[in-house]
Amino acid sequence: MHREPDLAPSTTSLTRRSLLTGAAWAAGAVALGRGSFVVPPAWGQSNPIKVGIATDLTGPIGFAGKANANVATMVTNDINAKGGVLGRSLQLFIEDTASNESVAVNNVRKLIQRDRVDVVFGGITSSMRNAIKDVIVTRGRTLYIYPQLYEGQECTPYIFCTGPTPAQQCDEFIPWLIKNGGKRFALPSANYVWPKLLNQYARKVIQANGGEVVFEEYYPLDQVEYSATVNKIMTNNVNVVFNTVIPPGVGPFIKQLYEAGFTKRGGRLSCVYYDENTLNINAAHEFEGLASCLDYFRTINDPFSAKLQADYDKLYPGTVLFTAGSAATGMYRGLKLWETAVNRAKKVDRESVATALDRARIEQGPGGPAEMVPGKRHCKMNMYIAVAKNGNYEVVTQSKGLVDPKEC
Amino acid sequence: MENIVSVGFDLASFSAIMVLMVTGLGVIASMMGVFNFAHGEFLLLGAYTVYLTHSHGYPVWAGMVAAPFAVALVGLALERGVIRFFYAEPVVAMLGTYAIGLVIRESVRGLIGGLYHSVPDPLIGSFTVGSVQLSRWRCVIILVAAVVLVGFWSLLTRTGLGLTIRAALENPALARASGISTNRVYALTFAVGAGLAGLAGGLMVPIFSMFADLGVRFLIQGFLAVLLGGIGSFEGPALGAAVVGVLSAGLPWVLSPVLADVLVFVIAIVIVKFRPAGLLSTERS
Repeated sequence: MHREPDLAPSTTSLTRRSLLTGAAWAAGAVALGRGSFVVPPAWGQSNPIKVGIATDLTGPIGFAGKANANVATMVTNDINAKGGVLGRSLQLFIEDTASNESVAVNNVRKLIQRDRVDVVFGGITSSMRNAIKDVIVTRGRTLYIYPQLYEGQECTPYIFCTGPTPAQQCDEFIPWLIKNGGKRFALPSANYVWPKLLNQYARKVIQANGGEVVFEEYYPLDQVEYSATVNKIMTNNVNVVFNTVIPPGVGPFIKQLYEAGFTKRGGRLSCVYYDENTLNINAAHEFEGLASCLDYFRTINDPFSAKLQADYDKLYPGTVLFTAGSAATGMYRGLKLWETAVNRAKKVDRESVATALDRARIEQGPGGPAEMVPGKRHCKMNMYIAVAKNGNYEVVTQSKGLVDPKEC
Repeated sequence: MENIVSVGFDLASFSAIMVLMVTGLGVIASMMGVFNFAHGEFLLLGAYTVYLTHSHGYPVWAGMVAAPFAVALVGLALERGVIRFFYAEPVVAMLGTYAIGLVIRESVRGLIGGLYHSVPDPLIGSFTVGSVQLSRWRCVIILVAAVVLVGFWSLLTRTGLGLTIRAALENPALARASGISTNRVYALTFAVGAGLAGLAGGLMVPIFSMFADLGVRFLIQGFLAVLLGGIGSFEGPALGAAVVGVLSAGLPWVLSPVLADVLVFVIAIVIVKFRPAGLLSTERS
């Protein structure tokens, strides 16, 4: 439905005002194109469902954001090829949050106010989630699905989390570390919210299983020199390093730990965000034996995941990988759970979809099935423990059934 | 005793890295009165040269030899093409170098896919002294830093070229009147300063791994070192770098690391307050 600008008045002659209005509209339409606020994107399409993606396409964590955008594109194309949802196609609106909260808030506002999306997926860091959630959920009255592993305790209504929580990453992993490392734990950490709350939970699990925390210490996010920490680990006879130091510090830290002989004397290094993206930070021999616990590894034995991985690699060859630590698996899970919920609700308004999503389940996904825990807005999923061997991961255990997120 | 050896070694190796980084920054700031905000990215370019040679299958040490020359060429081109037009306006020059740095950093980020890449040490492993493990590669860095310091100090104080450079620095008008091409001296100085950053970046990339923000943290600490040591001399910034290196690697041994990070700056600012012209100012005036 193309509306002609009001240029041809019936009786009165062309006024300057109407000419200017029309010219401004035409200029705006030409300059901004379809999808802008001048020309609604729905023109030329039969009322699609609008899916907003807000993720860090640029900046320091651009590698993760690009993977999220790729997964979203892949999944929505697939859904559209199979006839869409409720007979309507999905239309993607991808906005860059640029690893920068103030840029993000403006761009997310565009999704909400200009594009009027029906749902928003995205945000990777916790600070990003906290910055954009108010724009989406409170002022925007829109459903928000957050895909990344995180520190837990996000219990705002209408926010659904599809990545692993501390309980999922610790409950089986820490007993395994005690069995395959020892009882004396060190918790070296970057100084922000995720390590603090994760450590709080991990400490409880360590103590409940008869282990002890020798020290828990926080470092500036950009610290790259860890000799004091490594010395403390070596002289206090630490068995397990439960690391939450993040890049850029994590590379030099692991290297110094290796050079001090920590793994040589039988120490166990562990890091719960380590996935295929982090394999290149250190040389293979430096992090040999590092253990991680995530909802997906490339080397797990699951035909559906293998097919998904192969499809992704075919569509997006190169350095932007489909991994668990960059929220790509959570993004997939979130989109498919939401699709199921919309199909069941038969509507797209926030209330109906949230009600259906509360009990949604998918039979297949990266790492296996997943289901929402009713009333908790967090997701049960399989968890895997993997150990680095010659620069790759070897999966050593798989959880028996879906692990409870224990949130809210 | 063992603890003292290992603390001493760690402090020395981190200070050596800081000294290599700051020397180039100090040379440019002292000689030309321009704070080079792209210095961290010169460091990054040195690291990138090593990463590139390594990923094309050449030995890492070849990249380390090439890095200072490659970055010196980039520095020369930038000085001739951009920075020389701004000597009269130091603030504009600083903003210009900041912009150049941003372009370099984001280009490298694009080239390496925004990820972290490990680059192996040319010398893997460590020496065992008593029960203390000393990384071989860090030993090499300490040696190189010492050689660079002694080499440049002799160049500046014992050779004709050094005399020319000091003349162009202290009184450009008189130097020009005496037939010294200050333009050429400035270009040379800038290239040498950039080359030093390239060398530092190349040597440290095996320790810190290759990533786009490699230079950022070192740049801020580098400025602090130059302020501390004082502009106008060669040895001042080097000494300042050693102090900052020892403080920032040493304080976490005795204090909470987050506190230590802040305290480095506080201590440095207090010193600058009492010695505004730099640590070595009394000797030189």
